[in-house]
Amino acid sequence: MAEPVLEVHDLHVTFTTEGGLVPAVDGIDFSVAPGETLAIVGESGSGKSVSSAAVMGLLPSNAATTGEVLLDGRELIGLPNDELRKIRGNDIALVFQDALSALNPYYSVGWQVAEAYRLHHDVSKKVAHRRAVEMLDKVGIPDAARRVDSYPHEFSGGMRQRVVIAMALVNDPRVLIADEPTTALDVTVQAQIIRLLDDVQEEFGTALVLISHDLGVVAEVADDVLVMYAGRAAERGTVRDLFYRAAHPYSLGLLGAMPRVDVPPKPRLTTIPGTPPSPGSIRTGCPFQPRCAYTHLVGERCITERPELTPRPGEGDHEAACHLGRRPEALL
Amino acid sequence: MTTQSVSEELLRLKNVRKYFGLPGAPWRQAQAVKAVDGVNFVVRKGETVGLVGESGSGKSTLARVATRLLDPTQGSVEIGGVDVTNVRGRKLRPVRRKIQMVFQDPQASLNPRQSVGTILSTPFRAQGIRPTRAQLVELLQQVGLSEEHLERYPHEFSGGQRQRIGIARALSVKPDLLVCDEPVSALDVSVQAQVLNLLADLRDELGLSYVLVAHDLAVVRQVTSRLAVMYLGTIVEEGPADQVYSAPAHPYTKALLSAVPVPEPGVERDRIVLTGDVPTPIAPPSGCPFRTRCYKVQDVCATVRPVLEPVHGSTEHRAACYFPEPPPPERTR
Repeated sequence: MAEPVLEVHDLHVTFTTEGGLVPAVDGIDFSVAPGETLAIVGESGSGKSVSSAAVMGLLPSNAATTGEVLLDGRELIGLPNDELRKIRGNDIALVFQDALSALNPYYSVGWQVAEAYRLHHDVSKKVAHRRAVEMLDKVGIPDAARRVDSYPHEFSGGMRQRVVIAMALVNDPRVLIADEPTTALDVTVQAQIIRLLDDVQEEFGTALVLISHDLGVVAEVADDVLVMYAGRAAERGTVRDLFYRAAHPYSLGLLGAMPRVDVPPKPRLTTIPGTPPSPGSIRTGCPFQPRCAYTHLVGERCITERPELTPRPGEGDHEAACHLGRRPEALL
Repeated sequence: MTTQSVSEELLRLKNVRKYFGLPGAPWRQAQAVKAVDGVNFVVRKGETVGLVGESGSGKSTLARVATRLLDPTQGSVEIGGVDVTNVRGRKLRPVRRKIQMVFQDPQASLNPRQSVGTILSTPFRAQGIRPTRAQLVELLQQVGLSEEHLERYPHEFSGGQRQRIGIARALSVKPDLLVCDEPVSALDVSVQAQVLNLLADLRDELGLSYVLVAHDLAVVRQVTSRLAVMYLGTIVEEGPADQVYSAPAHPYTKALLSAVPVPEPGVERDRIVLTGDVPTPIAPPSGCPFRTRCYKVQDVCATVRPVLEPVHGSTEHRAACYFPEPPPPERTR
């Protein structure tokens, strides 16, 4: 495998709030190589979006970030803001879920893409404008030369997301972080955007970090998957490790809870009882223990001892954080 | 008013149109948004009908017309065999006892300043009934909550629990038909499965019927017996869910189903990626509304809008297309 372009080691993000310290991300590791896609999967409050914001240095001032974020071996945590600004949007770019709020309604889309280019390249407006047209064309905006002067409200949701992706890619970033890039879109448009991300990755060799709750999208685009639960890594491995050899009861629960369109329905979906915990509410033992159906097979350890990632059988570095050393047998 | 329909039709929409436009001046009507443009739709007792489509297809508007939250521009609404198109105000209350709605966002559809007990007793009081505590507790238990939740307020609950409260409120007047508008789209996957199972349990226990409005075709497949697919304000295909899912006849349905990602990495699927976006419902295309994005389009498609016609030798499975997909050869039915 190629050398990773982005490496994250032992990342912790702690928010200081009126209610005390909230550990939103509690020690995670991941890396992604050029041309590869890493998906970070998790439900609300799992810390997946906070992790990506921490990588970009985009967290509010009440957040304390520790650990290592290495871009081509260069540490990003602790870099002064003006240094970070040279990296953000240039080496690492971010695509948000909601394209409408990521675009400024007052400026034409072409102006906004050109501005992103001019921030990192000392070129004339004319050159930047040409670059904007080129990028809009590349992301599949029909008649880009004319549409470049349109405003965000004149675009549909899918077209706006294309503009945001054009803006993110205009500086040929090494890493693209996409936070739920298709969640707000209809499925037929989602299919277009997935194909687009696939194409640009092939063309530019971009490393993609995809943050998603949609296991169907993950199955389609990811090479590796990190499953997060309550700020911690529950499981990680290749996409086939996760979908065919899930080793953590939570991963298994997520897969069972997902209704499928391609096969006749099961009489009942398997469910995970309860709801995801709020960050920091479970401080000892396994954070998934209160919802876990396998605790009785292990006993006290689940409550007293925090499980660490340990190797599991699989294709690559398949690991799960569960005291149940073997693969959980599917219940029911 | 209470006569039982012989065919046990709970809901019948006849040629319903709903245009959102500027009132009054006729020249402004050309600018109207044709959200629902000529829909016939029937729900019978015991059915769970999925109403699917993308944003702007008119599915939510149709649900609101069906529950009499919106007046149709044209056409009629029959609930329990009685035409209620022109019933208004207080006279609608007996109608609302038969058909209730569950909304997408439980955060927005529950009053934050009312306790759960108050929220649940409101529909009773609207019907002129003072509910007993036991009745309210029973409602909570039906949706998997308990008596201790009665005095709490919406903010004390998680999203999934709030949706349960929304369902309990709808059940309070013992309706025959529940219209659920995107009931699980705001919920996490693990919680979504809980609510879908709850809907299935309630159907079995109370003999409820549902109209499930959703954009997520996998969610709909899990719980529906019949499916109607909407595009630009019209139903383009409908039929028994297993038939439509396994052998879609309308090119739009086929493309829509093929676009849904499947959790099986490494398995290549025949995906039809549609180009372009849904046209504006202010000026829908002539003829077939889907023709501008269709991969089978011919000249005839631009002439007259195709009507729903039986396909695949089934009387119940119908599609509005001049060139429907053939049934799969291994078809046993």
